[in-house]
Amino acid sequence: MVQSLVEPQSVADISSAPALYVKAYRAMLLARVLDDKFASLWRAGKIHGGVFLGRGQEALSAAIGVALREGDVFAPLIRDLAGRLAFNEPILDGVRTYLGSTLGPMRGRDGNVHRGRPGEGQLAMISHLGAMISVVNGVLFARRMKHITGMVGVATCGDGATSTGSFHEALNQAAVEKLPLVMVVADNQYAYSTPTAQQFACRSLVDRAVGYGIPGYEVDGTDLAACLRVVGDAIVRARAGQGPQLVVAHLLRLCGHGEHDDAYYIDPQLKSSALGVDCLKRAEDFLRQQSWADAGTLAQWRSEAVHQVEDAVATVQREPPPDPFTETWSVLATARLAEGNEVNARS
Amino acid sequence: MPHVPIIMPQLGESIAEATIVSFLVQPGDVVEADQDIIEVETNKANMNLVSLAHGRIAQFTVQLGESYPVGSSLGQIEVTKEEAARLGLDTAQLDKARSQSTPATTLSGNTPNTQEAHVQPTIRGLPVPAHAAGAGYMSPRLKARMHELGLHAADLAGLAGSGAAGRVTVEDFERYISNLEKQKLTPASSMRVAVADAMRRSWTRPLATVGMPVLMDRLLAHRKAQVVKPGPALYGLRALAIALSENSAPAGRLIGNNIVHPSAIDLGFGVEVEDGVLVPVIRNADQKKLADLVARYNHLIELARQRKLPLDATGGSIATVTNYGTFGLTLATPIPLPEQNLVLGMGAGRKVVRWDEANEKCVPVTESHLTLSFDHRVLDGGAAGRLLGRVADLLMHPEQL
Amino acid sequence: MSITYLEAIRAAQARALADDPRVFIYGQDVGAFGGAFKATKGLAKEFPGRVLDAPISEDAMAGLAIGAAIEGLRPIIEMQFADFSTVAFNQIVNQAATLFWRTNVPCPITVRLPCGATSGSGPFHSQTMEAIYAHYPGIVVLTPATVEDAYSMLLEAVVIDDPVIFCEHKLLYYHLKAEALPTEALPVGKARIAREGRDLTVVTYSAMVHESLAAAEVLHSDGWEIEVVDLRSVKPLDTDTVMGSVARTGRLLCVGEAWPWGGVTSEVIARVTCEGYDLLDAPPQRLNAKDTPVPYHPNLWAAHRPTARSIVDAARKVLQY
Repeated sequence: MVQSLVEPQSVADISSAPALYVKAYRAMLLARVLDDKFASLWRAGKIHGGVFLGRGQEALSAAIGVALREGDVFAPLIRDLAGRLAFNEPILDGVRTYLGSTLGPMRGRDGNVHRGRPGEGQLAMISHLGAMISVVNGVLFARRMKHITGMVGVATCGDGATSTGSFHEALNQAAVEKLPLVMVVADNQYAYSTPTAQQFACRSLVDRAVGYGIPGYEVDGTDLAACLRVVGDAIVRARAGQGPQLVVAHLLRLCGHGEHDDAYYIDPQLKSSALGVDCLKRAEDFLRQQSWADAGTLAQWRSEAVHQVEDAVATVQREPPPDPFTETWSVLATARLAEGNEVNARS
Repeated sequence: MPHVPIIMPQLGESIAEATIVSFLVQPGDVVEADQDIIEVETNKANMNLVSLAHGRIAQFTVQLGESYPVGSSLGQIEVTKEEAARLGLDTAQLDKARSQSTPATTLSGNTPNTQEAHVQPTIRGLPVPAHAAGAGYMSPRLKARMHELGLHAADLAGLAGSGAAGRVTVEDFERYISNLEKQKLTPASSMRVAVADAMRRSWTRPLATVGMPVLMDRLLAHRKAQVVKPGPALYGLRALAIALSENSAPAGRLIGNNIVHPSAIDLGFGVEVEDGVLVPVIRNADQKKLADLVARYNHLIELARQRKLPLDATGGSIATVTNYGTFGLTLATPIPLPEQNLVLGMGAGRKVVRWDEANEKCVPVTESHLTLSFDHRVLDGGAAGRLLGRVADLLMHPEQL
Repeated sequence: MSITYLEAIRAAQARALADDPRVFIYGQDVGAFGGAFKATKGLAKEFPGRVLDAPISEDAMAGLAIGAAIEGLRPIIEMQFADFSTVAFNQIVNQAATLFWRTNVPCPITVRLPCGATSGSGPFHSQTMEAIYAHYPGIVVLTPATVEDAYSMLLEAVVIDDPVIFCEHKLLYYHLKAEALPTEALPVGKARIAREGRDLTVVTYSAMVHESLAAAEVLHSDGWEIEVVDLRSVKPLDTDTVMGSVARTGRLLCVGEAWPWGGVTSEVIARVTCEGYDLLDAPPQRLNAKDTPVPYHPNLWAAHRPTARSIVDAARKVLQY
């Protein structure tokens, strides 16, 4: 059930929306520069644990970020740096989380892509990505109970997470409750090393929408203009009270699962196919075609992005790492219930 | 004809009771098996109870609108013997079960079956060491209490335990202590406590004693000839020093699997002081003649009695000589100090008549007994006897001392 | 007037809904039907739009509750049977339990688990799951044994700013009655001395409190005085009250309906042994269900779980040591 969209508020004609396109492009660019910096910090031994890049998925991600507003909620997948930045995640949050700064939102307790500010609509993923979708449902459910309308929640995941029970339960739940959930699936052809043929047997993941009784849309994930249009429209429809929306983007992961993975298993034919086009390069070509930016402007933007990233990294590298002696090691919000603490003192 | 009870069934998860809503048949009616007979209401739903046999309703024993717990009898159905047999309804058993279905004392007692079930505890044995009797085995709590009160296992020697394998429980212990407190108590002197501590530690070893008589006439004559007369114990000390200088192995101590050999022939001697015994030490007792030791020996006795022994005259000795003869004792089995393997004991001399083979006549002689107590782990009777024999030989040749 | 354990749970939810507009109830069949056990009977009508049926999706139920909690609401979710909460296990232990620690955003959800075995319930409607949830940091696990505690602790659970696993015992639902709802209560985290004694401490919780009290009564007629400690909450665990009791008696028996491997009884024994070794005059012992799934037939079931009778047997062994 792939529906075409003719909506009054849609951004069907992207050529009339250069500002939106440029905003999204610059989020993509900043994400790419920051991701590359993360990779080099990891190779220099400055980052503990894994580094997970969004290379090849920035267009889809940025399209989500620029369509969201304050008050919306976003549960990103691990390759959504562009979307996070576009949805106003401070660049320092990512750097601080990767480097374990105590000034970051996760304070060294969790790292890399596992970050967020749940109170500000940026959910902090757990590793079981399918499990984030029903949490978005919960936020939307609560907003409805509080009679807050006109906001949406976006959850994203890859093709792999669509095989989990959580994904099914949550989409069914959102459909039953008619929640303003936009589920964006980045079908990037591989879940770690597992190709989609081993992940699902339907023609396209968008066919799942029929089973849930919700509309589904497909989009070329390498084309920022298409992503802005399709994702933007899905968000507009959800915001207008039309219930959950499923968007499936087709693209190729242009890197390993993490930086520890050389991705030798990726089919070379896929790399040279239309799916293997670098969305950032394609967006730059489009900007020049439309005369929205010339080579000088693009170089200027890149230079600004590099500056921003270098400033952030330099700042965070001077910040204190977590200290096991000052860490509270307390897990409960209700301090009086901490064992060996107030409970004992009270008796 | 047998009467089969109508029992309130378990009508759902966790249901405890149900209320009688209506009777769908009347006493005297003939009912088929599985026919609805009573309508009841539970917390969850309304439902019908069915007859479990073909028969005639004999009576209902319950009231409309009242609640009855699961398992209670609601009435009886009269059935033929054949029907009861066919359905496996042993009416005698049923009557018995009904009479036993007393109100459950616990929440688990829903049905007669559960009341009868016997459960083997899943806990296994509680291990008690083989030597548990008395204070041979002490629980952590008993050990802690003993430590708190400064007591030792020996203090519980008189206490029979009531616990597993006769162990002393904490209750036994506390009762014992509170009974002791009813008797007259005086604090033991620090000397007493120190001696008790030393003896307790010594007594952890398997101790044995050997003894032999020795003729003392020549020693007494030798002593009489001296200007300053050495005490008999000093003779013994010198004799033991010489014997050990010839072979110090018997003074070794067993630590683990090693014999620790003495590095010097430092010998102590027992001095009775008020409420205890002190042991001054003469260093390198093998290297000075008897005559040269007398003054030192007498001085140390004096210092001991004043409790002013210098540090270099206490501790670190390898054997002790004790002259229990001064108390008129002819025989004793003294206990070596905890850090020593040997204690030489000297009994009181007595005049005895002895057959003189050479002159073929009886002669009066002075005889006393020597004893040597030792750690049997280190020394056997033979080795101990040879050492004691050498000491006796030297005492009978005092000029060699 | 008398009130059952189940009615107390219903009453606590009614009061929580009335007192705090942030509270809502979500679970299978909890709406108009009033819940499989009628723990929410009439609440959907009394509080329109706040007592809502969920699809058979425990994972999504828990996820939704977590999202709502992030938004500042105080959801109560009912798992129809504790056994089914395994489907939501990931959400509870990985999402809810870590949220505050990771992000500083509290996760005040209450997960009601109708737990414990009743006659004829079999392997999948009988489990007691406090141990497995207590194992995870960031979760409060409550195990009320009385009508009064069922009421007061459920009210407190809703107020607590952390995920609470509320283990309500199905066997107590209808069997346990009290004269009235309590007006005051011990706080969560404090154990209760259910019966005072001097010879043996029995530490237990939930339905096993009643089996232990019955056992204590039997042993009383033999001259033994058994002290029964009702933990009330297994996490936080009130080690002080347990230790104080063992200091009086010197002997410890822990009784739990859960399986023997690990769990609350072993945790209590580990703590007493580690921190109170010098209090013990006998090796501490524990009594649990047998290490098999919960059997269906009443004869097997009655022998599978600890009962007053097996507690008496176990207690005698410890007493005679």
